Amino acid sequence: MAAYTELLKRPVSPTGVWSWLTTVDHKRIGLLYGVTALTMFFIGGIEAVIMRLQLASSDQTLVSPEVYNQLFTMHGTTMIFMVIMPMGAAFFNYLIPLMIGARDVAFPRLNAFSFWMFLFGTLLMHASFLTMSAPAMGWFAYTPLTSLEFSPTSGVDYWVLGLQVLGIASMAAAFNFVVTIINLRAPGMTLMRMPVFAWMTLIISFLLIFAFPVITIALTLLQFDRWVGTNFYNTAAGADPLLWQHLFWVFGHPEVYILILPAMGIVSDVLPTFTRKPLFGYPAVVFAGVTIAFMGFGVWSHHMFTTGMGAWANGVFSFATMLIALPTGIKVFNWLGTLWGGAIQFNTPLLFSIGFITMFTLGGLSGVMHAIVPVDTQQQDTYFIVAHFHYVLFGGSLFGLMAGIYYWFPKMTGRMLNEGLGKLNFWLMLIGFNMTFFPMHIVGVLGMPRRIYTYGADQGWDNMNMFMTIGSFVIVVSFLVFMVNVIRSLRSGEPAGDNPWGAATLEWSISSPPPHYNFIEIPTITSRYPLWEKDHSVGAAQAHGHDDDSHAVHMPDPSYWPLVLSAGITMLAGGLLIWKWHQILGFTIISVFGLLALYATYRWAFEPVNEPNHEEPHQ
Amino acid sequence: MAGLLLLLAAALSACTNPQTTFSPKSDTAQSIQTLYLLVIVMASIVMVGVFGVLGFALFRFRDRPGRVASQTHGNTKLEIIWTLLPVAILVIIGAPALIAVAGSAKAPDEDALHINVVGHQWWFEVQYPGMGPEDPNNPGERLPLITANEVHLPIGRQIYVTLESVDVIHSFWIPQLIGKTDMIPGTVNELQTFTPQEVGAFYGQCAEFCGTAHAQMRFRAVVESLGDFNEWAEALQTAPADPASELAAAGQTLFLAKGCVACHTIYGMPGAAGKLGPDLTLLGDRRTIGAGIVDNTDENLQQWIRDLQQMKPGTLHMPSFGTLPVENPQHMSDAEIRAVSAFLRGMTLE
Ligand code: HEC
Ligand SMILES: [Cu+2]
Ligand SMILES: [Cu+2]
Repeated sequence: MAAYTELLKRPVSPTGVWSWLTTVDHKRIGLLYGVTALTMFFIGGIEAVIMRLQLASSDQTLVSPEVYNQLFTMHGTTMIFMVIMPMGAAFFNYLIPLMIGARDVAFPRLNAFSFWMFLFGTLLMHASFLTMSAPAMGWFAYTPLTSLEFSPTSGVDYWVLGLQVLGIASMAAAFNFVVTIINLRAPGMTLMRMPVFAWMTLIISFLLIFAFPVITIALTLLQFDRWVGTNFYNTAAGADPLLWQHLFWVFGHPEVYILILPAMGIVSDVLPTFTRKPLFGYPAVVFAGVTIAFMGFGVWSHHMFTTGMGAWANGVFSFATMLIALPTGIKVFNWLGTLWGGAIQFNTPLLFSIGFITMFTLGGLSGVMHAIVPVDTQQQDTYFIVAHFHYVLFGGSLFGLMAGIYYWFPKMTGRMLNEGLGKLNFWLMLIGFNMTFFPMHIVGVLGMPRRIYTYGADQGWDNMNMFMTIGSFVIVVSFLVFMVNVIRSLRSGEPAGDNPWGAATLEWSISSPPPHYNFIEIPTITSRYPLWEKDHSVGAAQAHGHDDDSHAVHMPDPSYWPLVLSAGITMLAGGLLIWKWHQILGFTIISVFGLLALYATYRWAFEPVNEPNHEEPHQ
Repeated sequence: MAGLLLLLAAALSACTNPQTTFSPKSDTAQSIQTLYLLVIVMASIVMVGVFGVLGFALFRFRDRPGRVASQTHGNTKLEIIWTLLPVAILVIIGAPALIAVAGSAKAPDEDALHINVVGHQWWFEVQYPGMGPEDPNNPGERLPLITANEVHLPIGRQIYVTLESVDVIHSFWIPQLIGKTDMIPGTVNELQTFTPQEVGAFYGQCAEFCGTAHAQMRFRAVVESLGDFNEWAEALQTAPADPASELAAAGQTLFLAKGCVACHTIYGMPGAAGKLGPDLTLLGDRRTIGAGIVDNTDENLQQWIRDLQQMKPGTLHMPSFGTLPVENPQHMSDAEIRAVSAFLRGMTLE
């Protein structure tokens, strides 16, 4: 028995590379997500800058059409699946247990597994650059362009398998957070006392659970078509090319809310802190979020107004899309209501939140424009659309996430970011963003289609494109400022203390950075803003929490198996790719790693705890 | 601001931006434009409202010594108001929009001109059903009249366009005349009908990403008087006159000898009945070559035949004849290319 447990020992080192590879601590996993997402943001940004250089004026030949098509495909795929989604995940991971008063998520090893699947999916998809065959069909990959006939290289294969792997990561995370939020709230933390960010996380998790299976199926059918010659999307065999579009957008539109709701949650938590008053209309904001999510499943065909669906379908989806503006408007108005009557402190997180509200409002308004079908027939697939979704995804999601970074960085690192650099970062980003993306509305109106690697001088789009390219460099500078700020603060930033902003929610009641067990004693919650209550009882309970006390708290042990299992599963996908090129080798890889994945699952299931005699955590 | 800038763009656009969506030259494009402006105005009002309140709040409620935030939690009356207000705005834009959608389903008029456009990677085939020469296999029936990359339209007559594709999804769009509709393989889509109201050559472009050369899949819509239109349609089904010059005559021979005819049709020219590439009948009369990407000049056409991969990277099927190895029988010297160009450009209406 002793030998048995010895053999199956779990990793123990508290620091070093192995401690990160085997960590199940939600805070460390959150940081891993964040750092990976920022790295991918850098890569996606380089792709964008190359595209802007190519388009700076007419008839340029900086990159070939093939390369350009790869750039926009990977830029879109990267920014959506490997930057904004995981940035949201970084915050869920880091903050949710802290916000609801838990010591970790419900399934810590599954959480680690999510991260490793995400990382490996990212690597798998980017491996396509190494074989010079990055996907080049656009991030929504319309059939039949993605069939073997029209895309014979392995780009589509990388993309399909990469997304499948990323999908597993998202599904695992979604289930984890639903269970965590439903089950692990501290005593007294009723649903309606949760920070709005926790609410949005819960909603997003449900969105993921319902939306991702749809894309998984769509991708699986495509996989069958490309690997074994089925005809799910083969028009020559009578398939309807619109099948893919419906499946894709049934996933794709909820995905839009998966991308924006984290930012909405962040802003709803940042505003009260810097206005010194509670969120205006908390129930309305929460309910609007639920409504948006629910309605988000009923508007997908607004991406397909020009496919000839007919007047009925166009009318219904147009109507539904206009309706979704209502809950969105409610959120915006309640944020205004929160600012109204406050004592507004213009710190960087607040500035980014204001940036979010304004830019997102613009993006929302242009969104209503393309809900109007006849107008959309002029806007669809033009730069007007590109402008719109950058206003919601960059001006919206990313500004919101930046607000979150400036807001919680002190909690995560124990050090403040510099306010002066933060403000410089904000203004440069706001100006650069608008220089780059506002003129896209205009060139869109002037007829410039999206996804073109070149245009003629006769079109008269040159000046505006040059202006936009210059704007994109202002954005680049703003991110350099951000990087400088982060690096400086990590080295020599001002110490943050527990609650530098005087915020009201639970995560600010513990030290910065929090101890690995989070709360020495699980707090009891009596209101939505516990730290603003007169007696500060919650903060007091944590005050004597030193690391010495950690032996009293039993935390989940680190584990190798999430890492091994996700490597095994990813290599199954890798084996499928290789199978196309060399069947025996591919088959061998699939078998070996399939067995490895099986073995890892088994070891995971029967993993013992390190200190079996230790008392259970007191809840 | 957004609205104003867009209007400004509109004012500037007509002459300097031939592909603008803001200079409608057909009844349908005009009605889209009206709706578009309404939406822009309403959106601008909302924007000014939101930004105004926001700006005021940020200034009025900024933190300063002695300022205490009012601890309000919400206000049900306000919540109702700011749900209903947007409803009113949505009704104002939504009602005409939905009426327009319903109207778009109207069947074409009896005497509408029917055109069928077929998308290919990366060019447009244009067919006028029942307007071509008599069908030899089916006396009494007329074949479609066929051309490529240029859609001729008589002014003042309703146009009814059906859309198809032989490969991937493309999208047919003439911003000044009509919004886009996708060309989907295996399906026949209908473009909303429209009546051109001004003579001119209008820009069109494929709007759905369709592969490597998507950016260079363009075309022109030529709106002309009924007389000109009929003359053009007639000429398209008349055997071409003998080449006017020796050079052009040599070009005609080469056109057969180099295998151009395997892919290209020239009406009335024996042996030239290929279908893989665009129909080249009356090429001299076309405004552009390469699917709308360059003007139809002698120089451009020679360059196209010599090295089209350089002009339009990714082009399918057609070889870059000037770059083929010399020992390849299809290789063409500059002199030969000049001859073929003279022949093709010599086929004009006169
Ligand atoms: C193997 C088939 C093939 C052969 C042989 C071929 N072409 Fe083409 N050609 C095409 C295709 C396909 C296109 C359309 C390319 C595009 O725009 O994407 C085309 C386009 C053209 C165009 C432009 C038409 C327009 O309206 O834009 C011209 C002119 C032309 N070919 C001339 C020639 C000549 C001259 C030859 C012989 C020297 C020739 N082609 C041989 C397939 C062929
Ligand atoms: Cu959508
Ligand atoms: Cu196209």
